[in-house]
Amino acid sequence: MANLTINEKNEIIDRYQANPEQALNILVDLQFASTDGYIDQKTAQLVAKRVGVTETRIYELISFYAILKEKTQARYVLKICNSAPCRFSGEPLVSRSLKEILGVNENEMTADGLFLYHGIPCVGACAQTPFIKIKDRVFPNLTAQQIVQLISDLRAGRYPAL
Amino acid sequence: MVVRNQAVLTARFNKLQADPTDIDAFCQLDGYAGLKKVVEMDKTAVLDELDRAVLLGRGGAAYPAGKKWRHLFYAKGQPKYIVCNADEGEPGTFKDKTLIEHDPLAIIEGMTIAGYMFDSPQGYIYIRGEYRNLHRCLRKALVQARTANFLGENILGITGFNYDIKIISGAGAYVCGESSALLNSIEGKTGRPRVKPPHLADVGLYLQPTLVNNVESYANIPVIIREGGAAFKALGTEKGGGTKLICLTGHVKNRGLFEVNLGTPLYDILYSEKYGGGSSTGRPLKFIHFGGQSGPIGAVAQLKDCLYSYDGLWANNLAIGSGALVVMDDSVSIIDYLNSVAAFFAHESCGKCTPCRIGTLRILEALEKFQKKEAVPGDLEVFESMLTHVTQLSACGLGQSVATSMVSSLKLFPEEFELAINRQTAEQKEVLW
Repeated sequence: MANLTINEKNEIIDRYQANPEQALNILVDLQFASTDGYIDQKTAQLVAKRVGVTETRIYELISFYAILKEKTQARYVLKICNSAPCRFSGEPLVSRSLKEILGVNENEMTADGLFLYHGIPCVGACAQTPFIKIKDRVFPNLTAQQIVQLISDLRAGRYPAL
Repeated sequence: MVVRNQAVLTARFNKLQADPTDIDAFCQLDGYAGLKKVVEMDKTAVLDELDRAVLLGRGGAAYPAGKKWRHLFYAKGQPKYIVCNADEGEPGTFKDKTLIEHDPLAIIEGMTIAGYMFDSPQGYIYIRGEYRNLHRCLRKALVQARTANFLGENILGITGFNYDIKIISGAGAYVCGESSALLNSIEGKTGRPRVKPPHLADVGLYLQPTLVNNVESYANIPVIIREGGAAFKALGTEKGGGTKLICLTGHVKNRGLFEVNLGTPLYDILYSEKYGGGSSTGRPLKFIHFGGQSGPIGAVAQLKDCLYSYDGLWANNLAIGSGALVVMDDSVSIIDYLNSVAAFFAHESCGKCTPCRIGTLRILEALEKFQKKEAVPGDLEVFESMLTHVTQLSACGLGQSVATSMVSSLKLFPEEFELAINRQTAEQKEVLW
């Protein structure tokens, strides 16, 4: 979490009064505040110490909840849906296109560290398949050309907020 | 006045478009009329009104809300907690998301009515991590409600009516939609289900009596109080009152969220321009998966006269569940489809109990074998008994409903399973232990 100072991390923990029952919310907020997209060990240790539980308990949460990651993530994590409603109404176009454009399989990062795509079960955008979700933003009803365009826009840094 | 064929839950959606959290606009559109009325009423009369309304839980299990509220009302121990389950994770469902996005105060009003009824000090909205962008909207709505004294201390000027609501984030675990797992997650633990009984209305959050209802259920509460239980029931059918938010996805022309009266003909929902608008691919529609991945599957051809209501679907061994309708055309093989469902459950099983942890994987393996047409005689029988094991032995609703779609598919499309079996090979017998 190179971009978060210790003070910034503490601020997030204080937002929840360092309450051990809010450890999950603290971890989620920390991960979303950092550009790395994961909880590094130092941060996990800090949270454990501040809320007064063992490091193991923090890692129990990180490994149980799918959104929390313990490894470094790509700059852009492209989320696609792998559940039945989407899989049979257009999603394969997205996974096929991404594999072709990026040259990597699902869950593999591109060599430049920019992209990683992976299927998750339902983001509630089932009426907009084929879509790609990056952070909180859904790019709905995509065509093959739009997917190519989206990737090159992301490469060119046209979505600084993502 | 609420009348059939008019929006009830979605009535404010367009009118609040500028800012769904605008509490003045909300109040001008019947907002908080329910809360204001409930504080004038006798609490047991409110429970009677809920019973009359026949509001069945909108999360998926269809448990009568009146019964749940009555149980909590007479449960011993204070404080009692109010929890809103916004961990909407059923693939094909996005109704709770839409409600929160467009009318968050309706949910907050419903939860505040519950707070008043049970003298609760604290409510919690547990919202799934994937809906992070909705946190902002909810937080803003809560601030508005606090400023207008609909939350906080001495609400509506009533001494001692102190109640507030907190937002808790989930982080991507389907099983947390199970109410006891959800409570564990609020307590900061991993979200694995508890052993039940005791009922959560007796021993819930922090071991206190707790009410857990779905987002849409809470949004219905002010309507019932405002309009009366009988008027609410009249919006639906004898066995289940009100309207239902449905999510149409898959191979229909108009995908999206609709509000329908319970009792609307299913074919209207599929084919009329007002709703689904028929097939989007030009191919005939083959089956519908009701209520999310844990729900049953129905063959379109057999449901010509079916009404979309609790009783109408029950009569066909189907269920409303969360309100999802995943519609598939005849290009989709049922075995391919079920593979996807099985993969979902194998991924989402929390691992606490063995039948579900191992069983979901065995079910997936069996379906993969069918998919590759590598099944041998006897495999189908082993598969069916595996479905029974997992359903009967799993500890929580997740495991118990894994097989629902598969059992209904075996009945509807036996020929597709038969085609997957190579009858030339030797028979495989189930190994009993």
